[in-house]
Amino acid sequence: MWLRYPPVLAQSPERSQLSVYSPHAFYSVPLINANGQSYIGLVELLEPLGSVNAESDGKKYKLRFVAPGARELELQFHNGKDKGKVKGDNLKLPANFVIQDGRGYVPLASISEVLARALSTQIRFNPAARRLFIGDIGQRFTLELRPGAPSKLFISFDSPVNPTIATEPGHIRFTFRREPVLPAIDHTAYTDSQITGANFSEHDGVAELDVTGNVALMANYADGGKTIVVTAAPAPPPPPVAQQAPPPSPPTPQEKAPSQPQAPAGPRFLVLIDPAHGGSEIGAAISPTLPEKDVVLALAHRVQHELANRGISAGLLRNSDTSISLDQRAISANAARPALYVALHATSSGRGVHVFTSLVDQESYTSRDFLPWNQAQAAFLESSSAVAGSVAAELETRKLPNSIVAAPLRPMNNIAAPAIAVEIAPPGDDIADISGSAYQDQVAQSIAAGIAAVRGKIPEVRP
Amino acid sequence: MTRRIIAMFAALLLIAAGLGLYAFHLRNRVALEEQRLAQQAQVVPPASGPTTLVTLYVASDSEGSLRRTQENVALPQERSERARAILRALLSKYSQRSSGHPVGAGADVRDVFLLGSDTAVVDTNAGFADSHPSGVLVEELTIASIVNTLNANDPQITRVKILVDGKERDTLAGHADLRRFYRSSGIGQVMKETP
Repeated sequence: MWLRYPPVLAQSPERSQLSVYSPHAFYSVPLINANGQSYIGLVELLEPLGSVNAESDGKKYKLRFVAPGARELELQFHNGKDKGKVKGDNLKLPANFVIQDGRGYVPLASISEVLARALSTQIRFNPAARRLFIGDIGQRFTLELRPGAPSKLFISFDSPVNPTIATEPGHIRFTFRREPVLPAIDHTAYTDSQITGANFSEHDGVAELDVTGNVALMANYADGGKTIVVTAAPAPPPPPVAQQAPPPSPPTPQEKAPSQPQAPAGPRFLVLIDPAHGGSEIGAAISPTLPEKDVVLALAHRVQHELANRGISAGLLRNSDTSISLDQRAISANAARPALYVALHATSSGRGVHVFTSLVDQESYTSRDFLPWNQAQAAFLESSSAVAGSVAAELETRKLPNSIVAAPLRPMNNIAAPAIAVEIAPPGDDIADISGSAYQDQVAQSIAAGIAAVRGKIPEVRP
Repeated sequence: MTRRIIAMFAALLLIAAGLGLYAFHLRNRVALEEQRLAQQAQVVPPASGPTTLVTLYVASDSEGSLRRTQENVALPQERSERARAILRALLSKYSQRSSGHPVGAGADVRDVFLLGSDTAVVDTNAGFADSHPSGVLVEELTIASIVNTLNANDPQITRVKILVDGKERDTLAGHADLRRFYRSSGIGQVMKETP
């Protein structure tokens, strides 16, 4: 009897799994223990790559596999024997073949040879890391450190990546599960006062890049997600002095910022400003020659400047004309661990300034320990509303038309910190005024003053 | 002599083929133009049959709010068709020149599907999303007006999902999240209502 096995891709997390990367799919395959070593199911391994039919009578095991556009091939094994056939040719396994519950398993150590013979393609297998690459697949990266104030480490890939990012004092770790990232380095050391090195490792089915530093580190995406830029997280500026800082000179005031002191180990108050859109994603066309992405980047620089004048450090999630996905924005923002996240938008519709807090579905939100991705903002709504109210009050003081609205706006719903979004519309009938210095300065001052007014109510965050 | 006749015949053939191609091109252009004009035609709710007083929540960009109005609309009997007719009446408001919330020419509702008793899936046409003004508030206003209008006329509808040309889209025009279901109870928090 020919049995058609269902694909087995979702596995319980407690079992060992093999991460498989092929040009057509990424998937995980569970491993079992038999005869004191790891085994892998042939159906589970081959099913995502094509059509599989397997036959077993408890002793003999025969599997037919057809890859898309290829001819059918056959694998034959016997339970408890280490000899089998692949495409009619004999194959000796390093340990006996195992049949359990009608499913056939080969020793994990043999899959390179089994697959290379069956698929006639290049196989790269790292058994210790449990990562398998089928075919000509793999994503390499380069590292380039640009010392300065702050120093920047550019991690460049061939195509966009979306790793999980975790930070702890002196480390920022990028974990690549879905991306077929290949080793480019083992360890690189830098003689830099801020970024001291990078270590690459493969383990437990993932690749991990650990960037180390003497300061708290944060990451931004650039080049459409193909480049990750690691820098020192902004440190609190010195106490405000009577003399005003010079006005910003967009588009690169942050690049020319004076040398920053090292980030302290203690709690800090960092405002992360997220100018929406960027790159090919222009946002609203305020006018034929004025895209939203440019208006909000200029406004972001002004807000950063106004916050600095009030002794509040602020970083920009996007400081150039770069396309960043909504999920990447949320991941970067959460990794930076800001005390407050501020997204900036612009539109030609309506008048004045709209301040948004998140509208999350709180019905299923029960715990602060675990935050579902789409409800990450739920635990911070009270603080977010306090900031929104304070900013609106400052706008009112400056006689700018304003409103506070709750909206299910991404990526704000995914931010695990107090968060608001501010959308500016033209102040009057002339749409071009939206990018005027006078109007943008008033809005920036309102935002900064509103944040400064409630700073004491927002918890600082340990980097 | 014979060579000259053949050359003339070949030239005539070439001219005939060229004219044929040009005619084919013109026919395609006319078809595309007709399609474009059909898409841009103002959405007008059915004018025949008995009318019913329906409630519309009409958005205003300048006020950033929804205004509750009532209007007589000819409604079909079937529940989802009624919902569609009511939404088309709402969109016809937005297509008027004096609209305080223009949503772009040719915006239409292709279909409304009712799932269970409480969920409506509104399938809009591409013109609705492609020509919709871009902005957080302006997009949220459109969604809020659709959700509130459906709920006001059929209180059983409490969840609304919006599709574009039968497919799910990330955002309406770059901002409002179209991947989610909108609850009428949540819209109250989103939009203030002006009397």
